[in-house]
Amino acid sequence: MQTSEAPPVPQSMDEKKKELRTSLLFKLRPIYPFIVILAIWQVAAMQARGNQGRLFPTVDAIVYRAWELVTDPLFRALAENPNLSFLDHIWKLLESPILLHTLNTAWRLPFSFFIAAVVGTIVGIMMGRFAFWESFFVPLLSVLLPIPAIAWTPIVVIWSGIGDQTVIVITAFASFLPIAMAVWTGVKTVNPVWIRAAQSMNADKMTIFRTVVLPGSLPMILSGMRIGLARAWRAGVGAEAFAGIRWGLSAGIFDAQEYLDIAFMMVALGILGLFGFVLEKVLFQPIESRTVIRWGMMEAMGAQDKKV
Amino acid sequence: MVTKISIQNLRKIYDTPERRVHALEGVNLNIEDGEFICLVGLSGCGKTTLLNMLAGFVEITAGTITMDGKPLTQDYDKGVVFQEYALFPWRTARQNVEYGLEIRNVPEEERNRIALEYLRLVRLEDFADFFPHNLSGGMRQRVAVARAMAFDPQILLMDEPFGALDAQTREELQALTVDVWQKTKKTILYVTHNLSEAVYLGNRIVVFVPNPGRIREIVKVDLPRPRDDLAPEFIRLQRHVNDLIRDF
Repeated sequence: MQTSEAPPVPQSMDEKKKELRTSLLFKLRPIYPFIVILAIWQVAAMQARGNQGRLFPTVDAIVYRAWELVTDPLFRALAENPNLSFLDHIWKLLESPILLHTLNTAWRLPFSFFIAAVVGTIVGIMMGRFAFWESFFVPLLSVLLPIPAIAWTPIVVIWSGIGDQTVIVITAFASFLPIAMAVWTGVKTVNPVWIRAAQSMNADKMTIFRTVVLPGSLPMILSGMRIGLARAWRAGVGAEAFAGIRWGLSAGIFDAQEYLDIAFMMVALGILGLFGFVLEKVLFQPIESRTVIRWGMMEAMGAQDKKV
Repeated sequence: MVTKISIQNLRKIYDTPERRVHALEGVNLNIEDGEFICLVGLSGCGKTTLLNMLAGFVEITAGTITMDGKPLTQDYDKGVVFQEYALFPWRTARQNVEYGLEIRNVPEEERNRIALEYLRLVRLEDFADFFPHNLSGGMRQRVAVARAMAFDPQILLMDEPFGALDAQTREELQALTVDVWQKTKKTILYVTHNLSEAVYLGNRIVVFVPNPGRIREIVKVDLPRPRDDLAPEFIRLQRHVNDLIRDF
């Protein structure tokens, strides 16, 4: 039995403290590489002189710039009128460019991914269930999948103009393809013994689909969603830059290139990285730990336990 | 005794573009209500094919199977226990047992009660809310037995259900199966290649031989239960079946 729990062993205070300290150090381990990189960066940047220093800012300069980027409009407004209301404080904060860039990326990306997830799941299920749609979509997806979605940008820009819609189309399309493929594979490769078991209890086709095929293919579907999200992220960020829109983190990065604003680029890149991390943590890990991991289906798939 | 299932002149031919396999020929068998029948034979002798036909997984080429005098329909109530672990990993033990009752639209409270009753029958009531991957192999098959019986099927079909288990667990489950059978009076068809298991479990042992798959002999087992697998009569019977399987 894997589930039996060992009774708690009484410990002295010293031992407990030691354990806490080691476990805290242990938990912080993923942060160490970043500290090392930042330290090397800082030392290297401190060697840069004069104009070079502007192109290679120190870590503290970047942090200061980040603070400035966020609070600049607020402080400027406060200088003009020191009696701002609380709500005005918030409004002024939201006027800061970096936050506007972030918010624009933050709604476009999940929105596009959501569209892709819905359409991809529907198409994947159709392919898995009906031979006609399978033979219709498989060749299509196989040809489209290897084309980097970003390469469609010029065409989509010409057709739908510069704006959010172009980025959304590219992003959703990029993430739709792997999701449809994964759902199709998942539906097709459900353990046949489960289906036989359900058949033997006289479940009809629709019931089998709902109660066996869907939960049975969930590990594949989730991994498809994950790949879809990664693709959406890449394509979306690229499309932002190439579609020539004003607001969005990578649009901002390309703008900042014009002004040689390295600090801005670093801050924006940091936020992009953080984004992916947070989406993984708040979206996929909770779903997985409540479903496929709890059911022991990840081990069955041969997947590695995810740490960090 | 009442004849539950009557199998007459049953034939099965698998016709594929590559080859033609004569899986069963001239099978005649009458199974009485409440009987425990074991099907034994070397691989390729058609014993699993017969079981799959009764389960409705495989179509009949020729011949008839009747149950209670009527031809077998696709959707009659049968419980099947598979060799592989066929439990649904996303359902707890209790929810697995409830599955067949859900299909039959049994109300939730009733389902719950019946599921627990059958889990108690296989002595797993304390593990009702465990997911299958937290259960041992033997426990999983016990849940599978409970699941196959919970909707009160007319017959229970078992296809080497304990074949993948270690010897000790296997013996334990054999005793449990006899216990369950005695309590529920179900008609059981049990496929195995383990002759000791067949002699331990069955009222009758149907011995199959291959090419084409057919019945060689039906051996009656009159040993009193619980059976002792080291008793001389037990071993004599086992040897007799062994000879039937191999020398033909």
